Amino acid sequence: MQQTPSSSAELTALEKVIAFVDERVGLKTIQAKMLNEPVPGGSRWAYVFGSILLFIFIMQAVTGILLMFYYVPTADHAFASTQYIIHEVDYGWFLLSYHFWGSTAMVVCVFAHMSQVFLWGAYKSPRELIWLVGLALFGIVMGFGFTGYLLPWDQRAYWATTVGVEIMDKTPVIGDFMARFLKGGAIPGQMTLSRFFVVHVMILPAALMGLAGLHIFLFRAAGPAGPFRGTPEEIKAKTDYFFPRQIWKDIVGMITVFFTICALAFWEPVVLLEEATPDPGDYHPEPEWYFLFLFQLLRLKMFGGEFGQFLGAIALPGAFMALLAALPFIDKDPERNIFKRPIALIGWIVVMAMILLFTVAAIINREFLD
Amino acid sequence: MTERELPSPVKLGLNVLWSTCWTGFPIKIGICLLFLALGLIHFEARIGLAFLMYLASPVTVFAMPILAMVAEPHLGEGAGIALLFLICIPIDIWATGVVARTLFLEKLSKEPPDGLGLSLWLKTALVGALFMPILWLVVGFATQTSIELSHSLFETEMLKAVPVAEKIGIELTLWGGASSTVLIVMMLLGVSLVGRVIRSAAQSAAPASGDYQALVTRWDLMRVPADQGLMLTATTLVGLVLSMLFWSGLPVSTPHPHECCKKPEVKAAPLYKPVDTLSKAEKHVAQLAAQVEAIEKQKAEEEAAKEKDKDKGKAGKAKPADAKAPVKAPATP
Repeated sequence: MQQTPSSSAELTALEKVIAFVDERVGLKTIQAKMLNEPVPGGSRWAYVFGSILLFIFIMQAVTGILLMFYYVPTADHAFASTQYIIHEVDYGWFLLSYHFWGSTAMVVCVFAHMSQVFLWGAYKSPRELIWLVGLALFGIVMGFGFTGYLLPWDQRAYWATTVGVEIMDKTPVIGDFMARFLKGGAIPGQMTLSRFFVVHVMILPAALMGLAGLHIFLFRAAGPAGPFRGTPEEIKAKTDYFFPRQIWKDIVGMITVFFTICALAFWEPVVLLEEATPDPGDYHPEPEWYFLFLFQLLRLKMFGGEFGQFLGAIALPGAFMALLAALPFIDKDPERNIFKRPIALIGWIVVMAMILLFTVAAIINREFLD
Repeated sequence: MTERELPSPVKLGLNVLWSTCWTGFPIKIGICLLFLALGLIHFEARIGLAFLMYLASPVTVFAMPILAMVAEPHLGEGAGIALLFLICIPIDIWATGVVARTLFLEKLSKEPPDGLGLSLWLKTALVGALFMPILWLVVGFATQTSIELSHSLFETEMLKAVPVAEKIGIELTLWGGASSTVLIVMMLLGVSLVGRVIRSAAQSAAPASGDYQALVTRWDLMRVPADQGLMLTATTLVGLVLSMLFWSGLPVSTPHPHECCKKPEVKAAPLYKPVDTLSKAEKHVAQLAAQVEAIEKQKAEEEAAKEKDKDKGKAGKAKPADAKAPVKAPATP
């Protein structure tokens, strides 16, 4: 006698829905593929930055959409609507401050994630494409910061954008077109605000979603790199699946970052300066903190003049980014231990020290000018 | 593992302090956020220092009151600061215990003794209480001196012409390099002291039994709660209560606006009534028209009076002048 399968009446409603979807899309196979991926050497706190970045981006999207309910992207209403969000909308100050500090957290986490990948040697073969897509994502995050900075339309926003677009103008061949396209006129005005707004809320999020998806796909295809030291026996003993330990660490990391951003929103809520005008008055224009090192670099005498400005603003950062992009193809040594790669270690320390030094120098210079 | 085979004190100290800091931090920052929302804490501008003192370090608990007496580092205000400090103590003891037990099993292959977390925390906190004020004073002195020296260097005639940006950069490199070196040396010294405390605990511990795989499984399972369902339920409930507290305490408007950028007082505009406004405007226009008419009338009368006076004067002077000069045409007004 043929045995009948267990009756569907024994299943709960939820189980029925899951079975229905599973039959059509292979839900359980997807779940197994996503959660049961082996992590060589086991879960680590150093691996949480990628997930944290995804979480920050989702939170930025949520808070950004909520802010858009009140924000008016026109030159005559942008400042007033931002003031309205801060002073009149219930919890508006918190939303705006969270969004502001969230962008800072995103930049910090991008730096941390890139540093971790660099120090772990995780950009090496067969992960070159992950590294390249990651660099493009880094550019997008910087673009988010640059375009979002103009939107409150206060003096800080207006002049940071003016300086930024002027720097962009120095790029050979496409610089003039890029600057004119972004500014949309002789001086920043309605066209500039409209274009920055569209780039910030439409183009960059779409690009980020697409590239982040590609980044994760490539990561899953190549698999995690694992720790850079330890005997094969040690790594094998610690190897574990992505679920539950790495997911637990990722969740703790996300919660910690969420709490930290909220605490920063309390510590320093967003406060606007005067409404944007083409006259800087007493205000000394400067970009957002993560571009400060470049801004201070351009203040040096050796980067004065037309050629000097091109050298400092375009050629040097461009060459650095090109070097980063070419890194997996130049550095073909399979050695991943950072303590056995002295050039990489010293290079990373020098770059970080220079960024820190020039950023602090820019802050001291601001105090000097004030 | 013999004393020779044990890692160096600096390595041991760094292993425990770094991991303990991040193990306790997620809980501490959550509590700190709740206090911020409830208005119990107001941090000042020195957020980096506040982070180190209150949230990151398990060794500053006794050092902080001493520092407050010696150097008066004012980091913020509110009753929540003292409360946060007290709450951090059990969190740090737990975090030190988890990290130290893992280190003993995984890296040192030693059996962690009972009460390891509490004893290590107490000893490291005492080391911190003695060492932190010394570090504070030494690094403060080194920074101050190097700043003054680098400033005086640029006061000389030879270097006066150096442009501002270059001057700031070089000065910062000079004093920043000097004070960072002192800070790093002092921190390594402090970490090595903590490492020595851990080392002495490790030396007296018995060797752990079992192969590497068994030890890894043991320290891994040590972190997994016995009753996971209960743990998950309890965490969810605590999270829910704290979330509700946070949202009930979260200020509707900006909690502490800057002195320079206070919210401007907005006066409500009066209600607009078109008919009233029109009739008022009509009355006003009529009033103004009457005023203009009166002024014009007055002006005309004054001019007429002036004309009369002129005519009288001319009539009086006309007889003697007629013989000598021709009559001029009257001046137009």
